[in-house]
Amino acid sequence: MSEILQALLAAVWLVGAGLRIVRQARFYQIEEYMNGRYLRWVASGRERWLPARSISAWMLGMVIGALLAEAPGSSLPAIVALLAAIVAVSPPRQSEVKKSLAVTPRMKRLLLSAWAICAMMYAAALGAGGALLPVEISLVPVFVISALGCALFLLAPLWLVAGNLLAQPLESALRRRYLKQAAAVLGKINPKVIGITGSYGKTTTKNFLRDILNVRFRAYATPKSFNTLMGVSLAINRDLADDLRAEYFICEMGAYVEGEIDRICQLTPPDMAIVTEVGPQHLERFGSLENVKRAKYELVKNLPADGVAVLNWDNPYIREMADEGYPESILTVSRDLTAEAARAQGVNWIASEIHETLEGLSFTVTRLETGERAQIMTGILGQHNVTNLLLCIAAAHREGIALRDIAMRIRRLKPAESRLVQERTAAGITIINDAYSANPKGIVSALKVLGMHETGARLLITPGMIELGERQDEENHKLGLLAAEQATDIILIGKAQTQAIARAIQSTSFDLTRLRVVETLGESIDWYQENLKAGDTVLFLNDLPDTY
Amino acid sequence: MSSRRRQTVAVIFGGRSVEHDVSIVTGHQIMDAFPAEGYEILPVYISRDGRWFTGDALAELDKFKDENILRQDSVKACLLSPDTRHHGLIIDPLAGRFSKSDMKRIDVAFPALHGSHGEDGSIQGLFELADIPYVGCATLGSALTNDKIMTKTVLRQAGIPVLDEHWLSRETWLEQPDACIDEILRRFELPLFIKPATLGSSIGIGRADTEALLRASIDIAANFDRRILIEPALTDGIEINCSVIGFSGRFEASTLEQPLSWDEFLSYEDKYLRGGEGMKSAERLAPAPISAELTERIKAASIAAFKIMDGRGIARIDYLVRPERDELYLNEINTMPGSLAFYLWREDGYSAADLVQKLVQLAIDAHAEKRRNLYDYQTNLVDLASQRGSKGSKAGK
Repeated sequence: MSEILQALLAAVWLVGAGLRIVRQARFYQIEEYMNGRYLRWVASGRERWLPARSISAWMLGMVIGALLAEAPGSSLPAIVALLAAIVAVSPPRQSEVKKSLAVTPRMKRLLLSAWAICAMMYAAALGAGGALLPVEISLVPVFVISALGCALFLLAPLWLVAGNLLAQPLESALRRRYLKQAAAVLGKINPKVIGITGSYGKTTTKNFLRDILNVRFRAYATPKSFNTLMGVSLAINRDLADDLRAEYFICEMGAYVEGEIDRICQLTPPDMAIVTEVGPQHLERFGSLENVKRAKYELVKNLPADGVAVLNWDNPYIREMADEGYPESILTVSRDLTAEAARAQGVNWIASEIHETLEGLSFTVTRLETGERAQIMTGILGQHNVTNLLLCIAAAHREGIALRDIAMRIRRLKPAESRLVQERTAAGITIINDAYSANPKGIVSALKVLGMHETGARLLITPGMIELGERQDEENHKLGLLAAEQATDIILIGKAQTQAIARAIQSTSFDLTRLRVVETLGESIDWYQENLKAGDTVLFLNDLPDTY
Repeated sequence: MSSRRRQTVAVIFGGRSVEHDVSIVTGHQIMDAFPAEGYEILPVYISRDGRWFTGDALAELDKFKDENILRQDSVKACLLSPDTRHHGLIIDPLAGRFSKSDMKRIDVAFPALHGSHGEDGSIQGLFELADIPYVGCATLGSALTNDKIMTKTVLRQAGIPVLDEHWLSRETWLEQPDACIDEILRRFELPLFIKPATLGSSIGIGRADTEALLRASIDIAANFDRRILIEPALTDGIEINCSVIGFSGRFEASTLEQPLSWDEFLSYEDKYLRGGEGMKSAERLAPAPISAELTERIKAASIAAFKIMDGRGIARIDYLVRPERDELYLNEINTMPGSLAFYLWREDGYSAADLVQKLVQLAIDAHAEKRRNLYDYQTNLVDLASQRGSKGSKAGK
C-alpha cells in the first residue's frame, strides 16, 4: 500500500515538473532559446522561480504529514503529501497569452530532452536519498520523495536549459545542414541580394521595396520579421526551394548581437545594403548606440567593392557609416535637410514639401545630382515613412526603375502588418494598430497621426517602450509629454513599466481623470469597447511580449 | 542595369516544324553570337517529334551529325514548366527511383524556332503562362505575321500596299478543284505564286506558268497547310528585304538589301546554307540600289507594318518592288528570320553580339512593361459567390 502511494506521489511530482517545463518553454521560446536572457527573466520575478502556491502547499503537506505520522506504517502522511503535491503542481491560471508556444520540431526535441533529464535527475536523487537516509522511519520516504519532487518541480527552468544544452550538438548539426540547404537553394536562383538592417523600419522598408521593385522585376522579401540567420534560412527553404522566380532577394537582417549580420551575410551575400535607422532599440542587449551602429555596419562591410549602400543621412550614426567611404557607391537620403544644405553635404535624394493628412502622406522627391523630381502620394501614414520611402526610391531608381514608375507604384503601397494600420470597426470607431512600433521615431509619427483625428475622443493605449536601456525612462517621458498633447484619453498597461510615462503626463495639464492604468491589454480593450462611440479613435501603440 | 549577376538565356531550337533543320543552324548562330561574359547559354533542343532536351552537347553544331546525340549522358530530357514558380526548365521530369528531377531557372527564353509551333504564337503562349521574358513577338504578333492571309488582311486595312490574293482551304480544294481553278483564273492571270498560308523558308511554295503547274503547286502546298494563298507573280519586280528591331514605339529599320538570286527562285538550300553562313554570302546588294525616297518609304512601311502587328524583337520584312513604277508590295513578315538578319544589321554597325544582347534586353523590357500590370488584385468575389450558393449567382464582373 505505502509503496503504491509513494510511487503515485513521485509520479505526481514528476508529471507536475513535466507540465511546468512545458509552461516555461513558452517563455524560453520568447527569449529565443537564450539561456542567459531566459534565466534572468526567471530570476527577475519571485513568483517565476518560487510560485507561492506550490511552495506553501508543499510545506503545509509536510507539516500536516509530520503531525499525522505518529502511527508507524500509517498511510495518512503519504495521502496528505499526495494531496499537497497535486495542489502544488496543478498549473496556475495563465495571465494573458499573446504568443502561445509554437511546437516546432526543435521545441519537441527540446521538451523530450528536458523531460528525460528531469526524470533521470529525480530517479538519481531518489536513489541517492534512499541510500543515504535511514529507512526505518516511516515518514522518511514520503518526506524525501516530496522534498525532492518539489525541488524537481521548482527547478523546471533548469531542466529546460539543461535539455537545450543536451540537444545542442544535434541542433547545431541540423542547423548546419539547414543552412547548407538554404545556400544551395539560393545558389540555384542566384538573385541579386538587397540586405536591409536598422534599429527600426526594416520590415516596412523591405515590403515597400519589394512592391516597388515588382513594377519591373520579381522581388522576393523575407516574410514578416524573419530576420535572424535561422529565420532567413527558414524563409529560403520554405518559400524558395521550388520557386525560382526571384530576381531580387530582399533580406531583412536583424542584429541582437554583434556578428549576427556577418553570419546572415555569409548565407546571403548582399549586393546592396540599406540602413534605415540606428536608435536605442534593444539597447539593453547592446550596451551602447556605438555598439548598435557597429552591428548594423556589418551589412555595409559585407558588400562587394562594386556594391551599393543606401543610407539614411538624417541619422548621425548612419552618417558616420557613410563617412567610412565604403563601398564606392553610396546613396544617401534625407527628409530633414533643405535642398541647399543637402547639396552642400553631397546627399543624393531629398524629400520636401512633406504633408500628412488622414488620407496619407505626400511629398516631393528630388534627385539632387540631376534635379529629377516626382510628386509622391501614398495612403501610408506616419512621417517616419518618408525616410523609408526615400530609401526605397533611391534603391529602386538605382536598379533602373524610372521615377515615374516608382511614384505610380507607391500610390498603391500598404502598410506592413501592425504598423500604423488604420481600420474602422462596425461601431464606427477608428482603430490605429501600431502594435509593432516600439521605437522613439515611430511613436512620434503614430501620436501625430492620432492627433489628426478630430472627430471625437482620441484614446492612446500603450505599455510604453522597453529594452531601451539607460534611455528608457527618458524616451518614455517624451512619449508621455507627446501623448498628453495628442490624446484625449490614455490607458497605460502595466503600472510598473509605465511609471515614467505616467509621471510625464502628470507634469502636464492633462485631465488626470482621463488617464487610466490597467494591468492587461484585455482590460484596456474592454474599456474602450464600453466607453468609446462612433467617431472616436484608438491608437494601440506597441505591444509587449508575454515576458513583460 | 540588369537585375541579376548573370543572365541565363535558354536558346530553343529545332522544333516540330518543316524548318526544324534551319532552326538548328539559327539556334547555333545565336548561341555563338553571345559574348561569354555575363551570359549563361542554355541550349534547349526540341526534336522533330516534339520532345525537349537540354545539355552541353547540344551547344555544338558538329554533334548534330551524330544520330545518337540525344543518348549522350550530358543530354537530358526536359520541359518548360508553365508553373510560374519554376521559372524555367524541369530537367528529367519523369525521373524515377534512382534519379532526381531538377529545376533550372531561365532568365530569358530565346526561341530560334522557325514556322509551326515556334513562330506562330504557340510557344509564345507557353512563355506567357510561365511568365518568363522571351525574345521576339508575343502571341498575337507571332500568330498574325505567321499567317500570310491574315498579314495581308491586316496590312491592307492599315494602308500598307500588298498584292491582291486569293485563298482557299484544303477541304474546298480537295472537294472542288475545278471550281477553284476557274475562280483563280477568272481573278488572276498566270504566272501565279502558290503558298501555304503559314510556312516560311520557301517550303511548299510554287510558281505556276500553266494551269497544270497551278494544280500541281496547289497539291504540293496542300500537303503543308490547311489554307493556301494564291497571288500574282510579278515578273518585273525585284525583291527587297528590310529588318526591323524594337519594341513599343521605339523601332529601327535596317539597311535594305536586294537578294540577287531572284530570277531563279531561291531554293531551300540556297536561302539558308550557301557558303555556310546563310543569306550573308548569297549574292545580294546592300544597300539595295533603289532611290533614297523609295528606301525611306520601305523603311517607314516596315516600321508601320511591324507596329500594327504588335511586333517586338526582330523581323525581316520582304517586299516586291517595281522601282521604275515606284511601286512596293509588302510580301511577308518573318518574326524569326534565318540568321536573325545578322547580315542586314552589320551594315548598320550592329554586330551579331550587339544584336542578340539587344534582343535579350528588349525581351526583358517587354516583360517589365507587363509587370506594370498588377495581377494579384484581391476581391472577395469567391467568398460572396459561395455565400450565395454557386448556382446562377450574379456576383457581378
